[in-house]
Parts: sequence; C-alpha cells; structure tokens
Amino acid sequence: MSEQTLHDKARRAAERHLLAAVDESDNSKRAVMYLADFFGQDKNVFITLLSIIPEPSEDYFAKEEERVAWLGEKKQFMEKVLAGYKDILLGAGFGEKQLETRLSIRKCRSIGDAILEEQERLKCCIVVVGRRGISHNEEFIFGSTSNKILHHATNCAVMVIE
Amino acid sequence: MSENAFSENSIRDRIGSRFGSERIPKKFQIIRDTSDFFRVEYNDVIILGEKPFWVKRYEKEGRFGLDDEPKYWVRRAVDIEDGSTKILKLVFHERFDTKIGNITIECYRSPKKEARILDLVAGHENFMHGHWVLDSAGNIIRILDFIPGRQIDKIIVEYGNDHEDYFYNYFPSVLDTYIEMVLAIKFLHDNEEKHGDIRRDHILWDRERKIYRWIDFDYNYRHGESMFSFDIQGLGNILIFLVGRGDVLVPELYAKQRDLFDSLWGEDLNISYKNRVANLKKIFPYIPDSLNRVLQHFSWGAQIFYENTEQMLDDLYKAKTDVIALSGS
Repeated sequence: MSEQTLHDKARRAAERHLLAAVDESDNSKRAVMYLADFFGQDKNVFITLLSIIPEPSEDYFAKEEERVAWLGEKKQFMEKVLAGYKDILLGAGFGEKQLETRLSIRKCRSIGDAILEEQERLKCCIVVVGRRGISHNEEFIFGSTSNKILHHATNCAVMVIE
Repeated sequence: MSENAFSENSIRDRIGSRFGSERIPKKFQIIRDTSDFFRVEYNDVIILGEKPFWVKRYEKEGRFGLDDEPKYWVRRAVDIEDGSTKILKLVFHERFDTKIGNITIECYRSPKKEARILDLVAGHENFMHGHWVLDSAGNIIRILDFIPGRQIDKIIVEYGNDHEDYFYNYFPSVLDTYIEMVLAIKFLHDNEEKHGDIRRDHILWDRERKIYRWIDFDYNYRHGESMFSFDIQGLGNILIFLVGRGDVLVPELYAKQRDLFDSLWGEDLNISYKNRVANLKKIFPYIPDSLNRVLQHFSWGAQIFYENTEQMLDDLYKAKTDVIALSGS
C-alpha cells in the first residue's frame, strides 16, 4: 500500500464522511431517520445527502418540451425532499456544517453505478442506502440498487437500512 | 419536386404504367401529413421524401390476448416508383403498462427510438431494415423493407416427430440461430439501445435472405437498476420455448402427465409466467445440465440473474458444446 493510499484512508476515517443515497421513497426516509438516530449527537460525522435523477430517455416523451418540463418538476420535487431530509438531521442535532445536499441530474445506465461514482469522487467512507424490499421477480425484471452497491462498492463500507 | 409532380393525374399515370391501367383506383387521396392516421384509407397515396407510396392494408398483431388486433398506424404500401412492398409505420405515441406476473412495467412506443435503431442496424443482417423520413407535418415515418417469411416459433414447432427427435436432430442448429439472435441483441446493448419488445413473434425467418431477423423495436421501457434485464427476460422466454419445442404448460401436465406434474416445485416454473415450466430437464431428461442451468436463470428458483447478454452468451457457448456432443453432429 502506498504512502498516499494510506494517507487517503486515514483522512477518510478521520472525517467520517457518509454518503446517504436517497430518493422520495419511504425506505430512503427510514435510512435518514436511522442516521439521525445513530449519529445525531456525533460532531465528527459529515453527511452528504445525494439524490440522483437519471435523465429520462427522449423516447418516453412525444416532445422535447415535455421532457424538459418533467425534469424541471422532478428537480423541484427532489429539492423539497432533500430539504425535508436535511431538516430531520438538523432536528436530531446535526449542525449545518455537517450536512450537504446534492442533487445530480445525469445520464446513467445504473443508479447504483452513479452512486458509487459519487462515492469515489467524494471519498466517503460509508455509503448508506435504504432497501426497497422488492420481490424476487421484481429484482429479476428491474434489478436492485442496494444489491448492486453491495456487490460493487470498493474502498468503503455499505450500510443497507431495512 | 413540385406539388404537380404528385398531382392526382400524375399518380394515376404512374400507377397505370407500372401496374396496369386496370389497377388504377377510381378514388384516392394524396396525403402528405399523416398525423391523423385514421384518415389514411386503402388505395390512398402517401408522399414521403418525394416518393409516392400506394397504401394497402393495415398490419395486425396478436398481443395481450387480442389476436389480430389491427395496427392502424402500420400500413402495408407499394413504392410506386420501383414496385417494392414496404411497411409504413406512422407516428403513434403510446404509453402503457405491461404486466409480467404481478410486476408492472411502464412502456412507451417511440418513433424516434425505432428511427435511431434503423440507422444503427442498417448494416446488420439480423435486423429488419428500412429508413425514416419526416412527413409534411414533421412526423417521423419509418419506411421498412417487407420481410417475406414466418415467425421462428411457428417454424420450429414443426421440426421433428417428437421432442426427442427435435432435440437430437434439429435443436443444435436452432441453438446456433438463437445464439446469433442474442449476439444481435448484444450489438444493440453495446450501443446503449434496448430492443424493448423481445418476443418470439418478433423474430422472422427471411426466406429470401435465408436468415432470421429481429423486427419491431419501437418500444422502450422505463428500466430500473438493470437497464437490459427486461430484454434479457424476453431472451430467456424465447430460449425456454425453443428448448421445449413450445411452451410446456403446467395445466397440460396436470391433465395429461400427472407424474411429471407431481415432480415439479414452484422453483421449476418460469419466473415471468408461472404456468410455464422453465426447468425443462425434469420434463426432458436428456437436456444437458449446462443448457438447463441457463434455463434455470429464468425460473423462480434462480438465485442469480444475468445482468447482460455477455454472461448469458458465456453459458450458451458451454451449453452448445454439450448439445453438439449429445447429438453427435
């Protein structure tokens, strides 16, 4: 292991930077409440609340204006959701400086991959996601973001909140 | 080209000189804006890209239990200039839900998508070919080459005297065909495109070119974590059909082969359609394990799923070796 790698690992461990990947679902809210409950009094923890909106294909809309309008509405909606989650954490004792919200609208084949790219970029030591609790055949048809993260995450821990 | 080039009289002359004066319709409309496709009637002429197309019947499709449901936006037509048969797909945006078991999938019919893929697969022989033009109202009209031939499922069920004869003597080449069709889908996926509607009746045997070809890729679906899994489940269902020489249906086993029915567990059934058997080795014990393992990826008992066609192809190549060894061909 190189000096630089060791240094990076040590720095990340000290900062205790958590990446909570969320959407508007109940399971995301549960994950945020879990973080509030567990880390609310810990002044060494920094949390980035990340929401990814995959840019929808042009194929889903008859006109480009409809696509732009959809994205605008979704962005506005998710900004509110993120603000709500931030309030939960503030209410639990986190300080403003310990929290960041991040809304990423991007083309992505997989939300799991996009979350892991953000983790890599921000050097977070833990990725936190809620589990949707999907059925076996739902996982077959749609895939599972939490499973993807569990199987592909490197250089970080993963917390999956049931 | 001027409007006069496609006046009623000039169209009559063109039809008369190419197809004979007796075939000139008494009454027809010349249409440049196809937005209202219900307006397009038999014998009308649509002008697309400065070419006149003589409209014939609409196409039909069996789907969701509605056999021969007319597709009013898909018309067979004759290119008046060269006499070739074309399929014209007019613009019809549609959003609907497809159910796979208890799962709902949001689907979209997109002319843009099909036009994009037509450009992409222009040099790929395992896909239908054609081009697209804008009509006078800016609608994306796809002009498809007509494929003379039958669906793969109608063909393969006629192979062999019984399943064993089919499996030993015909299935090795059917498997080759199937692998070729999966490779074609891999080509789409590698280019970040989905087929969107993978079903056995969307593979046609082109009897002129002597090749199987995928048709109808104007659907897109809203995917989840796994962008191509719905396509892959379609591939799995086709494979189960091809290996079984038809669907092996649970109610039929119950009625006619109770011993086999009694041997089945829930995990042996198709994850998408619970009335079909996926673990076909229980029905046809001579199926090699390697092939059956591919089928079991599409069963209720599956612990892991294929994330991409590459993984599936790896297993199919192994299965192919065993199938060939078994048949001795």
